[in-house]
Amino acid sequence: MRKTLGLLGVAGLIAASTAVAMSRAEPPAAPTAAPPAASPPGSAESGDPVPRLLQSPDDVARGKALFTGTCAAYCHRPSQPEPAGAAADAPFLFGCNWRLGGSNEQLFRTISHGVPGTRMVPFGGAIPDDDIWRIVAYLKAATQCKPQSSAGKVAALPARG
Amino acid sequence: MMDFRAGVLGIAAVMALALAAPPSRAAEPAPGVADAEVKLPAAPTAWYAAKPVGAAVGPVTAAQLAKGADKTHWLTYGGDYRNFRHSPVAGLTPASVRRLHVAWSAPTGTTGQFEGSPVVYGGVMYVTTSYNRLLALDARTGEILWRYDVKLPDDLRLCCGPANRGVAIGGDRVVMATLDARLMAFDRKTGKLAWNVALADYKEGYSGTAAPLIVGKLVYTGIAGGEFGALGFIDAYDLDTGKRVWRQKTVPGAGEPGVETWAGESWKSGGSPTWTTGAYDRETNTLFWTVGNPSPDWNGDKRAGDNLYSDSVLALDPLTGKLKWHFQFTPHDVWDYDGNTQLFLVDTVLDGKPAKVIAQPNRNGYFYLLDRVTGRFLRASQYVEQLTWAKGIDAKGRPIVDPAAMPQDNPSARVCPSNLGGMNGSWTGAYDPATGLVYAPSIEACQQYAKGIAVYVKGIPFMGGAPNTVDANAGKAYGLVSAIDVKTGKVKWRYRDPRPMMAGVVSTAGGVLFTSNQEGQALALDQATGKRLWSFRMGGGGRGQPIVYELDGKPYVAIPSGGWAGLDSFAGAASNLPEGGQLFVFSLD
Repeated sequence: MRKTLGLLGVAGLIAASTAVAMSRAEPPAAPTAAPPAASPPGSAESGDPVPRLLQSPDDVARGKALFTGTCAAYCHRPSQPEPAGAAADAPFLFGCNWRLGGSNEQLFRTISHGVPGTRMVPFGGAIPDDDIWRIVAYLKAATQCKPQSSAGKVAALPARG
Repeated sequence: MMDFRAGVLGIAAVMALALAAPPSRAAEPAPGVADAEVKLPAAPTAWYAAKPVGAAVGPVTAAQLAKGADKTHWLTYGGDYRNFRHSPVAGLTPASVRRLHVAWSAPTGTTGQFEGSPVVYGGVMYVTTSYNRLLALDARTGEILWRYDVKLPDDLRLCCGPANRGVAIGGDRVVMATLDARLMAFDRKTGKLAWNVALADYKEGYSGTAAPLIVGKLVYTGIAGGEFGALGFIDAYDLDTGKRVWRQKTVPGAGEPGVETWAGESWKSGGSPTWTTGAYDRETNTLFWTVGNPSPDWNGDKRAGDNLYSDSVLALDPLTGKLKWHFQFTPHDVWDYDGNTQLFLVDTVLDGKPAKVIAQPNRNGYFYLLDRVTGRFLRASQYVEQLTWAKGIDAKGRPIVDPAAMPQDNPSARVCPSNLGGMNGSWTGAYDPATGLVYAPSIEACQQYAKGIAVYVKGIPFMGGAPNTVDANAGKAYGLVSAIDVKTGKVKWRYRDPRPMMAGVVSTAGGVLFTSNQEGQALALDQATGKRLWSFRMGGGGRGQPIVYELDGKPYVAIPSGGWAGLDSFAGAASNLPEGGQLFVFSLD
C-alpha cells in the first residue's frame, strides 16, 4: 500500500510540476521555496545561477560538503563509485538519470519541495535557497554521464517509488 | 470489519496535494486526470475479531512476564526481561531439525525490512510488519484473526526504513510504537484500539520502531530520530490509560548535570535516540535502556565533549525514571556507533566469584561486561574480526581512539567496523545459560568516513557526513555469527556467511540456533559448534527476529523474511532480492 502511495505521489508531483493545477486555489501545504526564477541567490541576475556557481570552486565545495552532510549517508550514495546492485529508494544522483527532471531548476525544485510519500522531505525553507543552488551545482559538477545517457533528460518513471 | 479508512483516501489526499500547485506553474491539463474532486469508497484499515481470540487464557500477568518465554509463550521482544532470547523448547535438536518443514506462511503485504519479533500468547501470534500493520494470527495455522493497519502520514521522517520490531503484551493489551511517533494499545482479543498517544511530533524527526517493554502496570518505550538531531527520551505510560507517567531525557538541558559535555548549545540538537528495547532486572528493580548516536552523526566539530548520554546504557528507577547510573561506551562518537545493541543481564562467575553483569556486543566492535548493580566497567574484548577505530579500551572502559579514524573531508583511511556495526540494534542476539555463550550476528565491513556540513533545522536530516561504503561496494562485506564466552570474552566459534548477517537469532534448549541470512535463507546452526545444520530458501533478505514456541507438543519456529534495499545495499548485503515481507513458520511432523 505504501509503495503504491509513494508511486502515485511521485506521479502526482510530476503531473503538478509539468502541468496543471486545477481544483484547489491555495498553494501546497508544504511551503518551501519560491519558484527558482523568483529567488536568484546572491546576485541580481535572474534565472539559473548554476553556470555561475560552477565557475566558483568554493561554491561547488560548499555544495559538496552540504550534500555529504545532509543528503549522502543513509539516502543518496556519494558520487564515486556508483553502487552496484539494487538501487535504494533514494536514487543515485550522479548518473544523469534524475527521476523528476534534471534541469537545474527541476533539481532545485525537487530538493525544495521534497517527494511526498518517500523519505525525501522538503528542504526549502530549511536549507537557504542559495545553498540549495550550490548543491545543484555540485551535483552537476560531480555527475559523470555515460555516453548513451543525455543530461537533463527527464527519466521515465521508475519501476519502484 | 468496522473501521473504514485510509488506503484509498490517503492516496486521493496525496494526489490532491500534489495537484494543488499554484496556478503559476500550470501549463496544460495532465492527461487522464479529472478536474473534479474524486470521492472513492474508503478502504478498511482494521478488521476486528468476530469473537474474542485467545480467550482460553486470562490476561498476561506480571508473574508470566517475569518468567519470560516458556514452552508455549513468547511474551517479549527479548524473550524475557534479561533479553536472553532463549527458548526452553527442547524438541529441535541437531538430529531433528533436518525434518523441519513449512507449517504455514503469511504475507505482510508491505515492503521494507520485516524486522518484527512475533509474540505468542494463548495460541495467538501477534506480529508487526513494516509500515505498522499489526496482525493477530492463529499460531498453529496462520489463520488471520484480526488486523489493524495504522494510517500513516506521507511525510514520515525515517532515516533507515519503515521498520517495526514488534509489540509488547501485558494484561489484555498489546502495544505498538508507530513510525509517526505514537504509541497505540489494542485489546489482544479483538484488535480494538484502547488508546493512542503521541510520543512526539514526527515532523521534528521522531519515529517509533522498537517493541515497547511492559513491567507491571507501566509500558516503556524509546524513540528514534538521531539522524535528525531530535532529542532522545525514554517514556513510561500507564498500561490502562495511556497516560504518561514519566519521561527521562537522554540529553541534559541547560543547567543540568552533563550538559557541560556538549560544547556551546550543541546539546539542543544532540540526538541520542533510544530506538531499541530495554531490559529489566527484578533483583535490583532496575530498568536498563540504551542510547544511540549523538547528532550530527559524523561531524563532531560543534559538539566537543563526551556528549552524554549518547552511546550509553542508563540504569533507571522503573517507577520514576530517575537515573541511578550510566556508562558510556563511545564518548564523542563520530562514527554512528549507537550504543544500543542488545543488553544481556547475565549471572555468571568471574575470577571465581559470582557476578551480576550486563553483557553487550556493542556496535563499535567490542563486547562489554559491566557490573549491573554499580555500572562499573569490568572488561571489553573485540568480537568482530576487523576493528581499527580504536587501539583498545582502557582500564576505565574508555576507548583509545585512533586519530586516523576520525572523519575527514576527503577520507582515505579504511575504518572498521562499519557505521552499522558489528552488531546493530535492529537485530537481536541470544544467550544460552547452558553454554554461557552470547550469539551475536554481525556485519564485517570497513568504510571511509567523510565529513560534511551539518545544518540543523527540525525535521530535516542532520548527519554531518557520510560513510563511503568501500567494502560493500567492492563486495567485500561479509557476515558472522560469533559465539562469545561471557566468562572470558573469547570467541568460541564463528559461523561465516558470504554477506552481512543482519537478522536476529533465537537459541533453544535443544541446542539449535535459528536465524536468517541475506541469501534469503532460514538457517539452523549448532549452538555448540556453529555448524550449519539446515536451511530453507524463504526468498527475502533476512532482517527479522525469529522465535520458537511449542503447541500441542509440536515445536514451531517463526522466521520473518524480507529486506529493504535502502539499507541492505548500503551494508553490502542482498543486492538483487525483491522486497516484500513474508512470515515463515516451520515445524516438525
